[in-house]
Amino acid sequence: MKIVVAVKQVPERDAVVRVAADGRSVDESDLAWTMNEPDAYALEEALQLKERAGDGEVVVLCAGPERVQSTLREALAKGADRAVHVVTPEDGDNALMCRDTLDVARLLADAVKGESPDLVLTGLQSDDLGAGQTGVVMAELLGVPHATLVLHVELAGAGIKVKRELEDGWMQHVEMPLPALLTIQSGGNRLRYATLMGIKKARQKEMREAPAAAAAKRVDEVLKVSPPTRVKQTEMLTGSADEIAAKLVEKLRFEVKVL
Amino acid sequence: MNGELRLAVFICGDGRHGKRCGGSAIVASPRGMEAGVIAVAFDELKVSMSLAEPAAFPVAEKVLLAAVIVASLGVFAWRLSPIARNVLRSKKDTDFSLRPVGARVWKFFWEVLCQAKVIEQRPLPGLAHAFVFWGFLAFALVTLNHIAVGFGHGFLQYAGWFGTFYVMFAAVWALLVAVSIAGLFIRRFVVRPRWLGAEVSVESGVIAGLIFLLMATYLAALFVDDGGGAALGLWWVHTLVLLVFLPIIPGTKHLHLVLSPLTVFLKRPEFSQLPKLEGDDDFGLVAGKDLTQLIALQAYSCVECGRCTEHCPASTTGKVLNPKEIVLGVRSYLNTEGPGSEVALLDGAQPALSMEAAFECTTCGACEFQCPVGVQHLPVLIGLRRGAVNTGAWEDKYGTKLFLALEKQGNSLGMSSTERDKFIAKQEFPIFDGSQEYCLWLGCMGSYDPKGREIVSDFARVMRALGTQFGVLKKEKCTGDPARRLGNDLLFGDLAEQGLKAFAMAGVKKIVTICPHCVRTMATDWLEYGVAPEIEHHSEFMARHAHLLPQQKGESIVYHDPCYLGRYQDVYDEPRAVVATAGELVEAERHRERSFCCGAGGGLAFLGEESGERVSHVRAKELIATGAQTIGTACPFCNSMFRDALGAVGGEAPPQLLDIAQLAARGLAMQTNDRDGKPGEN
Repeated sequence: MKIVVAVKQVPERDAVVRVAADGRSVDESDLAWTMNEPDAYALEEALQLKERAGDGEVVVLCAGPERVQSTLREALAKGADRAVHVVTPEDGDNALMCRDTLDVARLLADAVKGESPDLVLTGLQSDDLGAGQTGVVMAELLGVPHATLVLHVELAGAGIKVKRELEDGWMQHVEMPLPALLTIQSGGNRLRYATLMGIKKARQKEMREAPAAAAAKRVDEVLKVSPPTRVKQTEMLTGSADEIAAKLVEKLRFEVKVL
Repeated sequence: MNGELRLAVFICGDGRHGKRCGGSAIVASPRGMEAGVIAVAFDELKVSMSLAEPAAFPVAEKVLLAAVIVASLGVFAWRLSPIARNVLRSKKDTDFSLRPVGARVWKFFWEVLCQAKVIEQRPLPGLAHAFVFWGFLAFALVTLNHIAVGFGHGFLQYAGWFGTFYVMFAAVWALLVAVSIAGLFIRRFVVRPRWLGAEVSVESGVIAGLIFLLMATYLAALFVDDGGGAALGLWWVHTLVLLVFLPIIPGTKHLHLVLSPLTVFLKRPEFSQLPKLEGDDDFGLVAGKDLTQLIALQAYSCVECGRCTEHCPASTTGKVLNPKEIVLGVRSYLNTEGPGSEVALLDGAQPALSMEAAFECTTCGACEFQCPVGVQHLPVLIGLRRGAVNTGAWEDKYGTKLFLALEKQGNSLGMSSTERDKFIAKQEFPIFDGSQEYCLWLGCMGSYDPKGREIVSDFARVMRALGTQFGVLKKEKCTGDPARRLGNDLLFGDLAEQGLKAFAMAGVKKIVTICPHCVRTMATDWLEYGVAPEIEHHSEFMARHAHLLPQQKGESIVYHDPCYLGRYQDVYDEPRAVVATAGELVEAERHRERSFCCGAGGGLAFLGEESGERVSHVRAKELIATGAQTIGTACPFCNSMFRDALGAVGGEAPPQLLDIAQLAARGLAMQTNDRDGKPGEN
């Protein structure tokens, strides 16, 4: 079975993100980058599928400037067989950050078409922009069925059986034909750590650079990005200890949603 | 006649002749005593008073002698050759260098010739062993002479000052060796300390018997007539014992007689020195092909004394790991699979070499420190881990979580670095800008652990009170210590490189930190990637300023030596100097070099629940048993382990638990309050 995993490089979770001078994007100059977390789970799912099947190929795909090759290397080190890098310029209108979801999905779908895989996996959304659309738009462009919020995939005859996470702990099990595209939810598997052997093997693995089509004109326009404003809310709970405890539990459960 | 007299003085201590030796006591302190009187007294002894030699051998006997010598040497060589071949065919230690030769010569002198470690760590059997060893050295000349006599060329006669001295000198050693080996035999086969293992080898009993016989035949030759049948008999018994002894050596633990002097001389100079991985196929100890010559030599040198196991925090708390069996497992692997083998070392035919055992090691280094024959366990144990982790063979929920936390968050606790930013801001730690003398390194515990933060804050108070300028780095990542000890070279290398870069960018010249793991890792393990700025542990810094710390009174404080400060860096006195300013220093039963691990090292603080008894509980109980009011620590990991342990085994009123920085800060706070005349807010 041939699986393509589309991944995105996003700023590290602890990175200090600043608004760029134009006020409509973030300043990328000083950022540390990492693999988008749901994409890491998509990769893990693909690797486990291949390991369970005993054979197959996992191709990892990423669009972006040269820096994304570190993320592709990481994927190769963890066990992907090949990498395809859709090269977009560092900045200007054709840069990845200037393209809308449809355009990015098109870049990726074009690269996937050449591979004609049985299965395409990607994270359900990105940790930076979080539109959650790239995967499903890609499925549409490829003309294959898709499922979202997938926690687990297994082979079932000629097709697959997937477990989808619904709200509040509910699960849905779906059977689908192949080829298909799945967007993967975080936490379904245990991620693996990168190993020295993996990194060394990764150096020998193929990393193909593919040209990116010119960006189509955006239909939408980003007006402004803004950092989070800190909102502090203080509320005094009054009453007897029991009453306060009951109110506190209610707030923790329904407002803060930590219980 | 003169010679006989002197001998009488020597042997008078021997009970057999005690009655007759009355005269010799007079000889020892005679003034104007007449020689004739004494001569009469000893004439009745009928002791030959010289080392009896057989009469000259006929040619046939000489040929027979030559034949048995050749046979003995032949069997010896035949039995030794596969071992030598396994050592020589093992992978070369590419990082090996004879330098520093001086240090090697000193180690050889101290540990081999003086038997210092043997005696120091197990005084009674150690001394007995030392007597046997020194006796063997003294007997080298006697043995040469003995064989030479058989061919009619004896050179050591009981005549002349040297010969007279030497024969008597050897006789004294013969007595000491005979008594010692008998004692050791009783210890091994009657007392049977459990560290020797469930079974003690029969051949070690045979060897003890042979050594005893060698000494007895030598001593007996002093009491028979020259050239007589008895002399001939003793000579042949002595010779045959020697020639039987020799071929038994290879293939038994007595091989250490031959190998261990070499092993001690050649061992790696650093404690827990991990070799650099070379080339694209080196991932640590995966299979026999990865075992190096030093590892093979050390494995064959093991004398099976069990000191490593006796001091191992894993073995003594019911874990699978047994460091002695690890070494013997490697030896047995070499014997069965051979040095070039591709067969995996872990979880194969050698039951001792299991993945479970390898990951139970706290890397406390007690085994390596204790070993009297130069076996270095840590490069083997960590080497096995490297082999398992670098190839991805080790799958562990907690281990993976730790590695991912180090990969993503850059700290072992998996916290967001913004938490550290907030802590620095709250404590108003200045950011290092090159103008301050010290860079205060917080470490993962100092940055994110509540108790670690208290320790670092208190140490900052001490530095401020002493007027020392310091700053902290804006961002810190783990030094890579847990990754290093767990064998993740990729992660460790990344972290080391990032750390070195961060110090270079900030222009740091001197680092001080509360964590001994950080000190060791930066100062020693980072060397593979570059040289870190000068770094010291806060105990060293505070000991230098101990005279400025106010003397506190009353309280008894037991100090716990952290493995990574003590055995790893030989820092024992400095933290004690700080403790001494804070109260009365109390020692636990096991302290300094023999200190017992808290259970956190080797990345184990981050792995799951231990099997058997918790190491931290055992140590905490031992510290509590001293009756001290306070436990003084010098490592945030030890502190964290004991904090939990005291909750479980501390009883109703557990002792207080404070880092030495907190002890010092307490004194400074009290001093300030006294001066200002207001109650403290320590």
